[in-house]
Amino acid sequence: MDRSKKKVDLGSQIQIKFITKQEIYAVPEFPFAVDSKIQCENLNRLVNELLKDKLSDDNGVVKKVDFDFLVNGELLRTPLDIHLTNKNVSSESNVVVEYMEATPSPEPMDCLIHDDWVSAIHSSGSWIITGCYDNSIHIWTNKGKHKTGISGHTGPVKAVQWISVSNDSATFVSGSQDQSIRVWDWDIKKGTTNCLQIGRGHERSVECISVSPDSTRFATGGWDTMLKIWSADPNYEPADKPAKKLKSETKVMPPIMTLKGHKENISSVQFINNSDLITASWDHTIKHWDGEIGGIKTEIVGNKSFFNHDYSDLNGSVITCSSDRHIRLYDLRSKEGSLVKGTYSSHTQWVTTVRWSKTEEYQFVSGGYDNQMKLWDTRSPKVPLFELTGHEEKVMCSDWSNQKLILSGGADNTVRIFKNKNVKTV
Amino acid sequence: MEDTQPAGDVNGLPSAEKTNDYVEYEAEMDTSDEEDIRNTVGNIPMNWYDEYPHVGYDWDGNKIIKPERGDQLDNFMEKMENPDFWRTVRDLQTGQDVVLSDKDVELIQRIESSKIPDSTYEQYAVPWIEWFTSEVMNMPIRNGADHKRSFIASRQEAQRVERYARLIRAGLLKTREQKRREREKKRERSFYMMWSTDDAEDKHMRRITDHIPAPKRNLPSHAESYNPPPEFLFNEREMRIWKKQEETPWKRKLHYVPQKYSSLRQVPAYPKFIKERFTRCMDLYLCPRARKMRLTIEPEDLLPKLPSPKDLQPFPTVQSLVFNGHTDMVRCISIDPLGQYLLSGSDDMTIKIWEISTGRCLRTIPVGGIVRSVEWNPNKALSLVAVVADRKLLIINPGVGDHLIVSKTDSILSTPPVQASIVSEKVKAVVQWDDATPEEWENGIRLVLNHFKEIKQVTWHGRGDYAATVMPDGANRSVLIHQMSTRRSQLPFAKSKGLVQSVLFHPIRPFLFVATQKNIRIYDLVKQELFKKLMSYAKWISSMAIHPGGDNLIVGTYDRKMLWFDLDLSTKPYKTLRLHSTAVRSVAFHKRYPLFASGSDDRALIVSHGMVYNDLLQNPLVVPLKLLKEHEDCSDFGIFGVTFHPTEPWVFSCGADKTIRLFT
Repeated sequence: MDRSKKKVDLGSQIQIKFITKQEIYAVPEFPFAVDSKIQCENLNRLVNELLKDKLSDDNGVVKKVDFDFLVNGELLRTPLDIHLTNKNVSSESNVVVEYMEATPSPEPMDCLIHDDWVSAIHSSGSWIITGCYDNSIHIWTNKGKHKTGISGHTGPVKAVQWISVSNDSATFVSGSQDQSIRVWDWDIKKGTTNCLQIGRGHERSVECISVSPDSTRFATGGWDTMLKIWSADPNYEPADKPAKKLKSETKVMPPIMTLKGHKENISSVQFINNSDLITASWDHTIKHWDGEIGGIKTEIVGNKSFFNHDYSDLNGSVITCSSDRHIRLYDLRSKEGSLVKGTYSSHTQWVTTVRWSKTEEYQFVSGGYDNQMKLWDTRSPKVPLFELTGHEEKVMCSDWSNQKLILSGGADNTVRIFKNKNVKTV
Repeated sequence: MEDTQPAGDVNGLPSAEKTNDYVEYEAEMDTSDEEDIRNTVGNIPMNWYDEYPHVGYDWDGNKIIKPERGDQLDNFMEKMENPDFWRTVRDLQTGQDVVLSDKDVELIQRIESSKIPDSTYEQYAVPWIEWFTSEVMNMPIRNGADHKRSFIASRQEAQRVERYARLIRAGLLKTREQKRREREKKRERSFYMMWSTDDAEDKHMRRITDHIPAPKRNLPSHAESYNPPPEFLFNEREMRIWKKQEETPWKRKLHYVPQKYSSLRQVPAYPKFIKERFTRCMDLYLCPRARKMRLTIEPEDLLPKLPSPKDLQPFPTVQSLVFNGHTDMVRCISIDPLGQYLLSGSDDMTIKIWEISTGRCLRTIPVGGIVRSVEWNPNKALSLVAVVADRKLLIINPGVGDHLIVSKTDSILSTPPVQASIVSEKVKAVVQWDDATPEEWENGIRLVLNHFKEIKQVTWHGRGDYAATVMPDGANRSVLIHQMSTRRSQLPFAKSKGLVQSVLFHPIRPFLFVATQKNIRIYDLVKQELFKKLMSYAKWISSMAIHPGGDNLIVGTYDRKMLWFDLDLSTKPYKTLRLHSTAVRSVAFHKRYPLFASGSDDRALIVSHGMVYNDLLQNPLVVPLKLLKEHEDCSDFGIFGVTFHPTEPWVFSCGADKTIRLFT
């Protein structure tokens, strides 16, 4: 205790109280007086000192743990007094400082080389699928081994998604600029792929695909401003029209339904549960649709065209990126107040892709045309947690479906894999 | 002359007889010298003879014995008895008593009372010469005219008074009245008005310090003279007017009727004198005088208040994407009507089709000539672009976008239409329609129009069927209008009006805008006549763009000016914008937002707000918003082409640094 007090300067002091949600790191309840200009680093040392006994294991070796501090709902990145003045909180009363174990920095793991720009990426469990501008689709393992390449599209592949993965086979769907959507089946043991169905109906390039959580349907959006919902069942046949059979035995299927509503290119679509979807478009709106009836539930209107979005059911918010360099957080459930709950500015160019973490409710990644991927915590709006460097060209797509891997594909023909060490055991 | 006395006459005064003449006097003295026995010793101190009983000798040589002197008692007796004692004087020289005569006594008395000794002398008998008389004499004393100041109020006095008045007004000097009042105030208990803004003293002082002089009366004019020239007198009409205005005398031009008398004698007394003075006094009393507040207009107020750019968002502010791929200067760009793809033509004899959202070059088509102009067909049901390559106009199917539309376009273009009539010789000499060769078909080229001279610009009509091309060297055959559906061309003009720079179709009405070097002519295509001629007063027009509403035109010139024409307003430019420092090469309007942009040779792209109001009375509002200078310095040229995205507030510019840049 005395040693911690020695760090205190003769300047003004602030009383702080430590609280934490992680019980193994609990410290005594009474307040401490610290220098008002104290920063994260010194608070870290303080807490480590306080936990010296708990952290040391049997041999007496002390393990140092990095903590992150939250003051008033925002991560502490500046000296404490500046942080408090920015939030208009007086430093007179006890300041509650919540601390938790800091997220360890993701480690760059691998780099998968392609022949052309990587425009789409999705991972599931043990496989990664990528779509490329040279009209091909590639499947890789998590370790970075190339499994197979599939061609078939006549235009750059703009979106790929896994439908279902099992030990023997897997199905996935891809959408491309040649206005078609193909549903593929991949036999893992044999290593062969087969195009099960071709979905025609879009009048222009297909930009985005999303598969419903129960893998029965998928939705696509594109430049013709239509949102189309298709069946993922390989044997789907609409009641009125029999499916046409092409020479190569690939069935052409029509969509289940076509939803009109957007006025411009739909750049991003996502199923949030088995019946509802969210779409983001270049007509400056985000629409929440009911997939059963085919109507719009709510709509969020912004100022700029949206390039990408992601919905997280951990916190019910939608994170979007637009044709300016800011990332905006919207809360669908809130009715009052301004719609934008948070703005994250650190990119210097257009941000093209954002993805939530599937396990942490506060973390997401973003990638943009300034060649950077950033890992953010929603509680620190000005500074990202980490910058995942590596890309030499624009970042075009990213994925975090597998909580261990942060993937990003870019115009430098590579996919970069970062290992996320903050893995929660569920 | 009477003052000087002869030297020898000390003891005796000359006899009382009038001795005016000095010569006579001197003669008398000279003659009496011999007989005078009183002084025989001369001018010596008489104390030398004190011891002797005699003083001097007479002519016979006998001693002159001193007369006996009595003692004091005798003296006293003498005083008592001798009536002439008071006049008796002892002559020191001779020692004898002399009795003064009356005349002598009178003389002595006159001297003692400081009068002139001679009683007969008349001091004031001399005639008095009045040098400065009160009578006005014929001749002035001095030969000059008197100064004006001798009969006018003294100027120095006026200055002194003015100085005092100034000091009093300034409060530095107190008048006697004020001092008295102050003294009184000091004696009595003073009460202060707590809430008044000015007390009596202030009001009193304000009349002095802020003095507003009474308005001056007009000086009398010729009409007021007693014998004015006849033109100043009222004629019948004026007299009638004067009588009519009797009820409202203030409306009269003159407050009197001019009278004419032959001499001043005949002038009667002025009847209205007292009334006039009274009205003047009433004016002074009743009309409060106040200072007229002058308008102080700052020159900055005269400038129109333009809204700040922050209020006029959205507009492009930063560069977002660079499209790299061309190997030479990019001369022209065009966007597809849906806003997904961008077409560019360059000096490297290719055209490239780019995907806007990613910056990816999707297709490159070699065209075999320097591409000077490209334009995407505005008809959304067709997939066509018009490309100018040297002397050829190529109609190309870019093959991007909806498959159905692409194939439909191909099918339309593969079947040539039936030619109803023969093509005239004149037109044949100028342009020939050819189908594309199979290799060209592979590349996407569908139709080739071979012109006889180099083409500079191509533009589509709004419906997508007609296209107009400009050949600057073609003289009167510079402008051609082609129709895609019938594959025919027309020469609309018979006469050459100048070097044609640019041609545009009106978006709504059937008008054709033809810009020559100095003017812009608007032709009505239906009536086939000249509709309007716009004077640009510029030396060399480079490019034109028309507002989607169709009533406003913006023209860029090589002499650094941009002219905004409001066609409803006048044929002269509504506004001349001198925003660039070098030649303006390209201008463009946005289809949705009230924005327009201009690109120039100094690599600057200026985006401005150009709001056109539906209200016919309100003029368009033009506000420059942003200067975007991102193109690199490469050769003397800067930005060649500027175009807006059809739906988003984004602008594209292509330049000599081989890039196309997107600003959002």
